[in-house]
Amino acid sequence: MKKIPVWGLLLAVVIVAGGCSKESEKLNFYNWVTYIPDDVRQDFETETGIEIVLEEFASNEEMYAKLKAGGAGYDVTIPSGDFVSIMIREGMLEKIDMSRVPNFKHLDPEFLAKIEFDPGNQYSVPFFAGAAGITVNTRQVPDFEKSWKIFYREDLRGRMTMLDDMREVMGDALKFLGYSVNTRNPEELEQAKKVVGDWRDRIVKFDAETFGPAFARGEFWVVQGYVENVFTELEESMAENAEFFIPEEGGPMYLDSMVILKGAKNIDAAYRFINFIQRPDINARIADFLTIPSLNLEARKLMKEQTAYSYEDLKRCEFKEDLGKDVELYDEIWHEIRIGM
Amino acid sequence: MKKNYGSIYTLPMAFWVTLFFLVPVLIVFLYSFLERGEHGGVVWIFSLNAYRDMLSPTFIHILGITLFISLLSTALTLLIALPCGYYMARSRRKSLYLFLIIIPFLTNFLIRIYAWQAILGNSGFLNNLLMRLGLIDNYIQFLYNEWAVIIVLVYSYLPYAILPLYSTIEKFDFSLLEAARDLGASHPASILRVMIPNIRSGIISAVLFTFIPTFGAYAVPKLVGGGRNSFMLGNLIADEILVNRNWPFASATSILITLVTTAAMGLYVFANKSAARAAQRKRI
Repeated sequence: MKKIPVWGLLLAVVIVAGGCSKESEKLNFYNWVTYIPDDVRQDFETETGIEIVLEEFASNEEMYAKLKAGGAGYDVTIPSGDFVSIMIREGMLEKIDMSRVPNFKHLDPEFLAKIEFDPGNQYSVPFFAGAAGITVNTRQVPDFEKSWKIFYREDLRGRMTMLDDMREVMGDALKFLGYSVNTRNPEELEQAKKVVGDWRDRIVKFDAETFGPAFARGEFWVVQGYVENVFTELEESMAENAEFFIPEEGGPMYLDSMVILKGAKNIDAAYRFINFIQRPDINARIADFLTIPSLNLEARKLMKEQTAYSYEDLKRCEFKEDLGKDVELYDEIWHEIRIGM
Repeated sequence: MKKNYGSIYTLPMAFWVTLFFLVPVLIVFLYSFLERGEHGGVVWIFSLNAYRDMLSPTFIHILGITLFISLLSTALTLLIALPCGYYMARSRRKSLYLFLIIIPFLTNFLIRIYAWQAILGNSGFLNNLLMRLGLIDNYIQFLYNEWAVIIVLVYSYLPYAILPLYSTIEKFDFSLLEAARDLGASHPASILRVMIPNIRSGIISAVLFTFIPTFGAYAVPKLVGGGRNSFMLGNLIADEILVNRNWPFASATSILITLVTTAAMGLYVFANKSAARAAQRKRI
């Protein structure tokens, strides 16, 4: 995620505070850190007169824990798919009346059909989807196949990293083998463990924090992770020599969806906001800001920026689902991998 | 008659310890005996599952790695800290050396770890230097293994070991060494059999100040550790909370760490007491 400069935040605060003088309608919005550009938010406020009260979270777990504790008073939030299913099961979400979200029709039906955590979108409206991939330093590694096979390469030993994230890395191995990223089949998981074990012996480390800067320094040449974590670290000269791709075998992907929370006080504002986000011109602006493909067919035509990967790339990927207690199957294998067993 | 206010004076301390140490530890202790909630948290049913999970080979292996790294780091730290403390205590520029020992604390701990990444990295200072000197053709991978973790841990906790050693060695009466030599002890023997026993409390403090934090290390193995053999209990706890959402198991692991460190503290108190008794006997 990009960082909003401090003055931008201050400006937003001043504008929001300025709008406070008159009693206006409000929307309590609980969002990921820097997930919607400031100008989009301001446009919504001037257009509708609804004031957005924004709070941010950094992980699904954090959001879920805060909502579970109760009393937060949010109207709208954006969980990832696995958490949408948890929150539906726990009765934390309001059903969506699609007649009040006319822009829903712009969403790619092919993509909507893949959603299993909320079939038919009864409780959620997709926001954006994305996937981790591999960034390669093309100056050091001019020739490479766009495949997970790259982590088998002996000549790159000690120059590669993968995310310290078991669902991601295990999911990559499962996809590489042609299995589902949500498999519970012990046989398939055992094979995936062997694959990840082979990768582990060639990569430098599993790392979710420092691989971006280290790639920028030229220390690592092949890093697996989210594109924004790498490219925001790169200077222009370095960015020319960096190529991001999602391997041909695909991998796990995430879909963050807008949901209305049970007990929301500003239902009307919530619907107007969700509909606003899926308005093609607005959606295109957000996609340009995030540099990831839009799920909104009309918005795709309006986008100005080149995205790091295409919608076609995402088609090869599979949603990570909530595994419930079966997550332990992965957890145990992951720890065995981490200690070299 | 004078009233004894002693117990009242300790109230703030007692309050502080209760609120910020005892209560949290009790909560963690309680959680470790409960059933896990499916999406994190706990279910209020008594369960020993968390402790049963500790018998798995994976957990025992991680415990082994943790003990290996923390014990070796402690031993190395002591080996380096002893001569340092000795030299400082005998030097005429004590305050200068003390100041130098404290200097690293002026920089944030994490930034110092990142500095080690810059030194030991594949394109880091050390590799560049060795290559320029023509000693190696290709880089050596220093970072991202258990040895890098040990090096950075030794570096991090060295000052904590040097300071107690310095203060006990400084109080040591060096004429005792001369006396030992007069009575026929060789130089090493005089150090080993006269000086070391006399600075025992300093050595024990140094060992504890190093062992306790290294046993629970989290950031160092995360940042300079690697693919295998450097995954420690601290990292396991974080994983269990954030990824696996198994709070009872994380709590049980945390209790284990607390028990090991408490046992180490107990040993320290016991050693000090027996040293005091021995000293008394000598006087009689």
